[in-house]
Amino acid sequence: MSTTQRILPKGVSEADFDAALARFREILGADSVLTESDQLAAYSKIMMAGDDADYIPSAALLPTTTEHVQEIVRTCNQYKVPIWTISTGKNLGYGSAAPGETGQVMLDMHRMNQILDVDPEVCTALLEPGVTYQQLYDYIKENDLKLWLDPPAPSAIAGPVGNTLDRGVGYTPYGEHFMFQCGMEVVLANGEVIRTGMGGIENSSSWQVFKWGYGPYIDGLFTQSNFGIVTKMGLWLMPEPPAYRPFIIQYQDPEDIEEIVDVLRPLRIAQIIPNAVVIVHTLWDAGTHVVRKDYYDGKESIPREAIERIKADEGIGEWNVYAALYGTPEQIEVNWNIIEQAFGASGKAKIMYGEEAEQRGGGFEYRSALMKGDMNLQEFGLYNWRGGGGSMWFAPVSQAKGSETKDQTELAQQILGKYGFDYVAEYIVGWRDMHHVIDLLYNRQDPEETKRAHDCFAELIDEFAKRGYGLYRTNTEFMEQVAGTFGEPLREVHKTLKNALDPNGILSPGKSGIRS
Amino acid sequence: MQNTTTVPSRHLPSRTLGALALFGALLLPPVAANASETREPDEVYRQVCAHCHAPDKAVGPEITIAFPEAAWEARGNYIRNTVRHGRAAMPAFRTAKISDAELDGLIQALVSGELDDAPAATGEE
Repeated sequence: MSTTQRILPKGVSEADFDAALARFREILGADSVLTESDQLAAYSKIMMAGDDADYIPSAALLPTTTEHVQEIVRTCNQYKVPIWTISTGKNLGYGSAAPGETGQVMLDMHRMNQILDVDPEVCTALLEPGVTYQQLYDYIKENDLKLWLDPPAPSAIAGPVGNTLDRGVGYTPYGEHFMFQCGMEVVLANGEVIRTGMGGIENSSSWQVFKWGYGPYIDGLFTQSNFGIVTKMGLWLMPEPPAYRPFIIQYQDPEDIEEIVDVLRPLRIAQIIPNAVVIVHTLWDAGTHVVRKDYYDGKESIPREAIERIKADEGIGEWNVYAALYGTPEQIEVNWNIIEQAFGASGKAKIMYGEEAEQRGGGFEYRSALMKGDMNLQEFGLYNWRGGGGSMWFAPVSQAKGSETKDQTELAQQILGKYGFDYVAEYIVGWRDMHHVIDLLYNRQDPEETKRAHDCFAELIDEFAKRGYGLYRTNTEFMEQVAGTFGEPLREVHKTLKNALDPNGILSPGKSGIRS
Repeated sequence: MQNTTTVPSRHLPSRTLGALALFGALLLPPVAANASETREPDEVYRQVCAHCHAPDKAVGPEITIAFPEAAWEARGNYIRNTVRHGRAAMPAFRTAKISDAELDGLIQALVSGELDDAPAATGEE
């Protein structure tokens, strides 16, 4: 048996694939069409509990212009070649830079990395998909602009366009990224280019300031989808406030999560606390810098007594609320008094800021950086908690009500415990919702543990759905299953749109469970 | 729009840029192309590696300590393999992210200790 069997896109003959590759080389130049296994190796590294053999691309294309992308999709239609689009490819734990299935051609947009415009008056930016947060951050610093970014935890190496298209979140008042997106340029599957919002009007000055345009608003169709390829995106940037006060509130008992959420909700809805607050469990707060085996080396879920030892040694709570205030010093003082009163009422909370918070263990330093949009990857320390490079984000949405939070926490702990995994989790608080983000960490070098992680994740999806809880996002291994939890009528609409916009099914087949 | 800041180009003269800018939103000039630039090793390290590997981060192991010259080739191959394939929690980095030329320069700077960012010894016992 040959060990170098050529990988082809599903349903495409070798002759057609060769013809398509020849055309791609004409469009991009030979150096920007990758087909050798050593060139493609970086596109196969995954952290989710899938089989490596299911995520191997047949080639990778590296366009640098919108016109390149137009010509690529026209060629794909001609030869029925499926492409899987990535931007910076650092969606770690959600699929990274790997294709949705073996044989797909990677459309790697990382070299389309121009910062097209930053307007410090209306605080907007227009970017290509390959721009990283670090690149934009450096540009803002070099030009002494008083603007802040809102990176997710992978910050520096990830990018605003890809993260927004996957409806990711950050930690400043601009934390819900899609809410702060404004205007797109999209290459459709037929090779045509559209601009959404006000962008269709020649010489429009309001493309990056008015989201809705005229008629149906369609930007959402190009998020978590495979209806087009976004080649430019506008987003809003936060003006640097005159003052900033990050703070932490610690609670010591598992049951305290109910009180935290119920006290926090009105403060968040009224924008007394304006940012995407996080409520971090012990194991996440410690896991960014503590290794599991220092406290427990068993195969079972880490026991309560070990969690209590971590809390004592590290000086952290069962629940650790990280939030911040922004504005003038006077505004901050007014809001701080409200927060102290609200959280101080029960006598359970320990509220800290400044030097006291900095001296405490846990993640205050890196959380403070993220809540002001600085570049920081400290959260990747979580990958050392168990070791072995396995990670999947299980992220159901909940409403911001303490009783529901308690229910989700207990359900997650029960299922994770059944499979021997730890509850490494946080809640990211939106205005009325929360993203309950659980990092299912496992040793990917161990096949048995990987299989167990896969089964655990599948059960989490099903059991949460039975109680009415759905995921806001998932990795490529489970997109089909998660799409199923949202019901057939919605899937039919997605399929109808797909058939209309991409009848040959060349764009990211299987993304969010959508195929033509 | 007079206060709009646009990224300066390293490829187009400012006179050309000014003329292109007049075309407006549908003909935005390509003002900041980084794809063809080769970054210096310290810039690649700062933008990508240091966030996890700098001594004060300790997310990944320190990688800037100089190796004996006799081991440069073996150490370099190890780094190259790790960057391109990833290793456990370490992500893989594609040529689109770190070009071959940039990786060559980075490896040389790492193995030779040129980027050593370990805290300086104080000499105190």
